[in-house]
This record gives sequence, C-alpha cells and structure tokens, in this order.
Amino acid sequence: MQPLGTAAFYGRASATIGGVRARAEDLQGSIATGERLTRSSDDPLAASRLRRLAQAETLSTVDSANAARASADLSLADGALASIADSLARARELALQAASGTLNDSQRAAIGSELGQLHADLVTLANARDSAGHALFGGETGGGAYALDAAGNATYLGTASSGEIDLGDGATVTRGLTGPEFFGPGGGTLDLIGRLASALRTGSPDPRTAAQGALDAIKAATGSIGTAQAVVGGRLAAIDLTLERAARAGELRAAEQSQLGDTDLATTIAELQQTMLVLEASQASFARLASLSLFDALR
Amino acid sequence: MTASLFAIGRSGAATARAALDLTAQNIANAATAGYVRRGAVIEEVALQRPLDAKVSLSGAKVAGTARFADPFRQSELRRTSSDQARADSELTGLRDAETALERSGLHPALVNLRAAFDRLAADPTDPALRSVVLDAVSVAAQGFAIADQSLEAAQAGLIEGAATDTDRVNTLAQDLARVNLELTRAGGGDRSVLLDRRDALLEGLSQSVDVATTFGADGTATVRIGGTGGPALVALGTVQPLSLTTAANGTLSFAVGGAAVSPARGTLAGSAQALSRLAGTRNELDASAAALIATLNTAQANGAALDGSSGTPLLSGSGAGDIALALTAANQLATAPAGSPAGSRDGTNLATMRAALAGSDPAGRIDALLLDVSGAIASRAVTRDALASIADAAREAFSAQSGVDLDQEAVNLVRFQQAFQASGRVLQTAATLFDTLLGIR
Repeated sequence: MQPLGTAAFYGRASATIGGVRARAEDLQGSIATGERLTRSSDDPLAASRLRRLAQAETLSTVDSANAARASADLSLADGALASIADSLARARELALQAASGTLNDSQRAAIGSELGQLHADLVTLANARDSAGHALFGGETGGGAYALDAAGNATYLGTASSGEIDLGDGATVTRGLTGPEFFGPGGGTLDLIGRLASALRTGSPDPRTAAQGALDAIKAATGSIGTAQAVVGGRLAAIDLTLERAARAGELRAAEQSQLGDTDLATTIAELQQTMLVLEASQASFARLASLSLFDALR
Repeated sequence: MTASLFAIGRSGAATARAALDLTAQNIANAATAGYVRRGAVIEEVALQRPLDAKVSLSGAKVAGTARFADPFRQSELRRTSSDQARADSELTGLRDAETALERSGLHPALVNLRAAFDRLAADPTDPALRSVVLDAVSVAAQGFAIADQSLEAAQAGLIEGAATDTDRVNTLAQDLARVNLELTRAGGGDRSVLLDRRDALLEGLSQSVDVATTFGADGTATVRIGGTGGPALVALGTVQPLSLTTAANGTLSFAVGGAAVSPARGTLAGSAQALSRLAGTRNELDASAAALIATLNTAQANGAALDGSSGTPLLSGSGAGDIALALTAANQLATAPAGSPAGSRDGTNLATMRAALAGSDPAGRIDALLLDVSGAIASRAVTRDALASIADAAREAFSAQSGVDLDQEAVNLVRFQQAFQASGRVLQTAATLFDTLLGIR
C-alpha cells in the first residue's frame, strides 16, 4: 500500500479523532440527561412509542382524576342515603306509636310535628349538593332536585338520568342517583312522610288509620333506600377496581418508558470507557506517527 | 573531449537543480489544497559526436514536469464527494424539519387538548375546567403556528442556500471557461498550475451539482449537468449559466441555458430533495390543522353554549399558518346538545366532541408525521455514512497518488543533492583533466 500524502494523513487523523470525540460527547450527554434519545431520529420507532405512552399517561391521569371525583360524589350520596335511612327508621317508629290505640289526638299531633321536622330534613337531604355544588340527586339539572309547592307536595325537578363518566379504556360508571330512583316517582317517599305528618297534626283524615296505612309504605321506602345504598356501594367498588387497574397499567407504562427512553447507565458508562480508551490510544498513536519525520534525520 | 565532459557535468548539475527545485515546490505546497505532486521528467541527451561516431553521450535534460494525477481516480473522487454532498445537504434539511416539529411542542399540546376535554366531562359547567379547555385549544393552535413558521424558516434557509450555491456554480463555471481559454493558449509550456486550477474548479462544481466532464487533448474541460446527455454548462470558453426557480410550495427546479435539468448529486440535489419533503410535511401539517378546525367547529355548531345560545366556531383559520382560538369566553363552549336551556349540565355534545377528537386523533397524525420525518432521517443517515466512507476511500486513493508525502520528498532531496554534488565532481574532474593537458611541457 502506498502511504498517504502528508495532508491526507493529518486530515484523516483529525477526522478519526474528531469522530471518536463526538461519540464520547454523545455518550456523556445521554448519561448527564438520563435520556437515551436526544431527538426522534435517534430511534424513530422508540420515539413514536414514547410519544404514544406519554399520551396514554396524560389521558389516564385525567381518567383517574375524573374517577376520583365521581368516587367523592358517590361517597357523598352514600352518606346522604345513610341519613335518609336513619330518618325513615325514626319515621317508622313514630308511625308505629301513632298507629297504636293508646295515644290521644294531642299526643298524635306531637308525633305529627316531629314527623314534620323529619319531612323537612328529608327534603334538605334530597336537595343535598355535591363537591361542585350541583344537586346530588338531581341528575344533570343545574338547580335543585326537589321543590315543595304551597300544599307541601314535593316535585322532582331534575333530569331522568345522572349521566355517565369515563373511567378510561371504555369503562364507564353512572356518576350518581336521581331522586326518583329511591324515592319513587313524583314526590314519592317525601310526600308519604309529609302527608302522614299533616294527618297526625290536623287529625284529618283519621290519623290512626293513616299511620297504620303508612307503615308498609315506609317499610317499602326504607327497602328501596337500602337497594340504592347497595347500588352506590357497587359503583364505588367498580371505581376502586378501575383506579387500581389504571395504577397497574401506569406502572407497566413507566417500566416500558424507562426501558425505551432511559439511559442504561451500566452499558453506557462501559461504552464511554471504551470510547475514551480508543480516543486516548488514537491521540497517542497520532502524536507518535506525526513526530516521525525523515527531515529530523537529515543533518 | 574535456569540453563534452564539462557539458555533461553541467547538464547533470542543471537537471539535479531542476529536480531539487520541484522537490522544494512540493514541500512548500504540502498543505496546499488542490496541489498535485510533481516530478521532473529527466531524459538522456544523445548527440552524434563528429570525432567519435561510436559514442553518443551528451548528458541529461529536463524534458518536462510530470503531474501525478490519475484522471480515473480524480473523476471517482468528484463523483463520490458529490454524492456525499447531496446526502449531507438533504440530511441537514430533514433535521431542520424534525427540529421544527419536535421543538414546537405540538404533539404534547394536542394530547393536552384531548385531556382537557376529557377532564371537562367530569363537570361540563365548571368555569375553571372550561377555561382549561380554551387554554389547551389556544396552546395547540400556537403549536401549529410555531411548527409551521419553523418549517417555513427551514425552507427559506434551504432556498437561500440553494441560491448561493447556484451563484457559486456560475462563478466557478466562468472561472473554468477562462482556465479553458488559457489552456488553449498555453501551448507546450508547463501547464501544471492551470491543470491544478481546472481540477480544483471541477471539484468545487461537483460539490454543488453532478458534473459530467470530458477533456480535450489540450486539457480543456467540457462540463455537462445531469449526465453526459445534459446541456453543457461550460464548453471551452462559453458558459450557459445555471438558473434556479422556486415554486410557491418551496420546491426547486433548475435549468441550464433554458433546458430543464435535475441534478442527481451535489448540495443542490440534496436541497431540492429536502425541500420537496418539507413541502409534503407542511402540507400534512396544514391538513392536520384543517381537520382539527373542522372537527371542533362541526361539533361546536351542533351544541348549545352555557347561556343556551347555539355554538359558534371554536377555531378560526384554514390551516397551520392561521389557526387561532375564535371563542372569547369559556361559557361559549357548546357542551350541551342544541336546544338545551341555559346552565344545562347535559354533556351530550361534549361527549360527541370528545368522540370526534378521539376519532380524528390529531395527536396521532402529528406522531405519524414525526415518525415519517425522523424515520427518513434515520435511514438517510445510514446512506450518508456509507457515501461518506466511499468518498473517504476515493479521497485517500487519490491522495496516496497525488498528495505530497514529506518523507518521500526528503528522500528526493537527498537523492538530487547527491546527484548535484556528483555532477560537481564531474566538472572538477574535467577541470583537472584540462589542467593536466595545459600542464604538458
């Protein structure tokens, strides 16, 4: 092989050493930033996969936040339903007392006024608000769930359904309960208690018969509250499951992200060491070769 | 006889001096770009002498200067470095496009846009969540604008580079035409300098375009662009200038003397290829922006705003260049179906909007666009590296033959110095002989 010309020798040495230095700087950069890819073209498919993973991560964070919010609202509904169940239990006790023949009308009127208080409590509970200030049992209405007319009869003002919320991956959950779902159509249970209170207070229609007649209806109403509580509990459990599943999927995503995008320190540092060794060797050999000149031997 | 000894010694000393001069010239130009190593062609001079017909010796002479340039290796060098220049220039343009798309933050902005709509589903009437959606739409619109502007700037940079290159090609062509004329006038003298200049000009031309070169017997070059059948850029002393036309979408076309040419190599070819890719990328960016505008505005028109009025367009503009948020207040977002009363929490239209967004998947389109560009870069980088190593090999092959090697010149220096000294000794011997003759009494 013919030797290179002098200019070409120096040109090749600077290109080789420059190339090794650039490689060492790349490795140093990926160690310092902890990221294997500095731009998409370093590994186009991995970069695209990372973008999709980041998108899934962002959307899943939103889904989890929405699920947590739905969970909070359902818990509020659960609490309100428990209070309603307590009130109905007390109403049943009072109706039992009023149904017995041992009480006189004024005692029944006293029970009637306590029932009236319970009725007011139930109306307040039925109009309870969620964390965002919307009616808890009003479906998707902007205002309150129930209103009382002049005669004290309750009317449902809300919408027919509560709407659903996305939990991600196609799973949805109904975000609440509407009043008619556990109070029955129209005024329902509210009117039942209201009418009984009014009958006991005013004495017409016959308070004892009214109380006896209301007992079964109150029992049935308590039963539907229990059913509603079970439904809410089931939805809360479903949300918990979804959140757990989302957390697990998030862990898997993070693992894949790290595998695709993070610097493998052990390999990279070893590679950097090797590159530095090559760099030092080529610098040293260049210095030795460049110092060889026949002119030095001419005297 | 002594006279001829003097003459032979003198011619020996003169040729050694000439060879030493050339060696010194080689050493002086060891680092000169485009310099081709030279050597003295020494010939024996043989003259019939009148007194002695059997012996014909008259010393040596310098017959000419040898220029160690192999035309084949030289044309290989031109071809391969032209290939490398094309690949480099195309890759630079594509990297600009990748940077424009990546640094604009368009992809994360579009992901956040979808996330903001999803979050609003938790409570469609929440003013804070509605503002977040409007912000996200505005950021996405800005992302499109930034990406579009950066792509446009990258195009402008490439076009300006191509215009500069075209000017350079024409200047080099003019210079080459002058060198051609000088070569025809130079006659039989030393033309090494002119040939060096010719080759340097040809190498300069091949950086920008692919040149097909033919040489005349006197060393003059005829340069054609776009293969051996293409129009002549330089024919002897005439130049047909290369002209550049930029289309509205930023793509380039070239012509030599009115005849269209499409260079396959050189920086101009690379720029043209990168620009045609950039035009496609900008088209797709525009189409993505238009799709987003259409998707959101259609859904918005089918719904009712928070005050019960029907939805007005969410985005204005028709492409990535002019896309902008059109709504002024967050309560104008039409989350409820058309005909809903004021303050409706019904999120049916929001659900339609989210489904439309998920269906048209603007983030996915930008991801595909980025994958397309970065994939092209990754594969072009491999090609570029291969072409670079081929060009390096050609450069080394050429330089091994034509470059100055100082060690070899040092050897020549000693060799010709000894030849000079020996010729001096011949002269001294002739003088001694002469003195001997003169000393006869």
